[in-house]
Amino acid sequence: MSAPDDGAGLVVTGIGLVTPAGSGAAATWEGVCAGRGTAATDPELAGLPLEFSCRVPDFVPRTQVPGPRPWQHDRATQFALAAAHEAVTAAGLAPAAREDARIAVVLGSAAGGVGTYEDQFRKLTGNGPQAVSPLTLPAFLPNMAAGQVAIALGARGPVLHTATACASGASAVALAALLLSAGACDVAVAGGADAMVTPLCATAFARMGALSRRRDAPARASRPFDADRDGFVLGEGAGVLVLERAADAAARRAPVQAHLVGYGMSADAHHPVAPDPEAGGLRLATAEALRSAGATAADVGHVNAHGTSTPLNDRTETTALAQLFGTDGPSVTSSKGVLGHTMGAAGAIEAALTALTVKHQRVPPTANFHRPDPESPALDLVTEAPRTQTIPLALSNSLGFGGHTTVLAFRPDT
Amino acid sequence: MAAVYDHLVTVLTDKFEVDAEEIRPDMTLAGLELDSLAIVELYVTLQEHWGVPLAEDDSAADLTVEQVAQAVTAQLPAGDADRDGAPR
Repeated sequence: MSAPDDGAGLVVTGIGLVTPAGSGAAATWEGVCAGRGTAATDPELAGLPLEFSCRVPDFVPRTQVPGPRPWQHDRATQFALAAAHEAVTAAGLAPAAREDARIAVVLGSAAGGVGTYEDQFRKLTGNGPQAVSPLTLPAFLPNMAAGQVAIALGARGPVLHTATACASGASAVALAALLLSAGACDVAVAGGADAMVTPLCATAFARMGALSRRRDAPARASRPFDADRDGFVLGEGAGVLVLERAADAAARRAPVQAHLVGYGMSADAHHPVAPDPEAGGLRLATAEALRSAGATAADVGHVNAHGTSTPLNDRTETTALAQLFGTDGPSVTSSKGVLGHTMGAAGAIEAALTALTVKHQRVPPTANFHRPDPESPALDLVTEAPRTQTIPLALSNSLGFGGHTTVLAFRPDT
Repeated sequence: MAAVYDHLVTVLTDKFEVDAEEIRPDMTLAGLELDSLAIVELYVTLQEHWGVPLAEDDSAADLTVEQVAQAVTAQLPAGDADRDGAPR
């Protein structure tokens, strides 16, 4: 049984990020702190309803993806492999150290290798069965990012995939924490990856009315919590964290980025795609994250919000934050103003950014915020420039279609 | 034939990461350690590049590099195989 202030008793010993702000945790942290939107016109979406996205810039599989034949993986798995390599290297888990370790891999995605699926289906209908790659299934099955990372690391499990739409990466981190707490593994490589900037996915989100239509100024389109927000910007990427029990990490003198002290998972049980106006799922998951962290709402110094830039999410989340924390609540930011919405990767990327936020005691700003929503309660939103503040405990919120909700709680290493 | 063979060598080295020094006309695909999925993928790649149909059969692993190049060349209209490896 952990001491109350130790919560879950887990630590983050490695972080790997591949995001629209660049490849590597340092590039991403620098990008979100700079607070500039990364969305740009996307030639691959030409002729479709919305022609801009947040792409990972200058990603070269041949040099960035470890292991043989990187082309055989879907782009999402390529991101996952690159991020996992960075995270495990940062954690000091060299191949020799991994040999006898019980390593779990838990990775989430909303859509697996959907880009491969679309490409190959186009070949089938355009050129016939002979044109279809025999590597289609191992590239597009949603579990394969976790499977390929396990192969690359020599990790023998448990190896699992989580699919909770846009909460997938956060659910993976929470599930990995449960596995560690249950003693089912000694190290967990957890996170999420998605590459849904594809013709079909972009069109389908546009047809739902979920995407921003600010095509005259893509870099200013993703504007979480702003009064003039009109939808999210589709992004891509991966985030991976190495998690260990604090005592194990200390025994091997591992670098500690932050403590993962709590986690809560819940569901709205309300509507397939619309958030519960009462934010029932988010309030439950927050309560559970605080309970498992041995903390109360008063301990929370900062929240990395889900903050998608859609009218509905941001209003509901603001209302929930006001109900949970009152008028003198924690500082809030959304990384999606810079990164767009990276789908199943978002929860993991934001978990990593929240860990870095408590480590540096520095909150990156929400990009493109100009005017508060007059119909929402006031938030202490960090805008324009990073804010240095004392953060004893920070939460990272993730919500997905289906009503899935995960809240993760981090404390700084002291 | 030369253009098809050269292109095949390029695909084997660049895409399938086969060591260039291992590739000889009489080396089989199995000898180059291409597994069954890689061999089908190689055929898909060659069909797409040259715009020709190739019969896939279970004994492809025993074909040599030269025999695969010959199978492609046999499908090409006369003259095409002498071009500089340009796709049709």
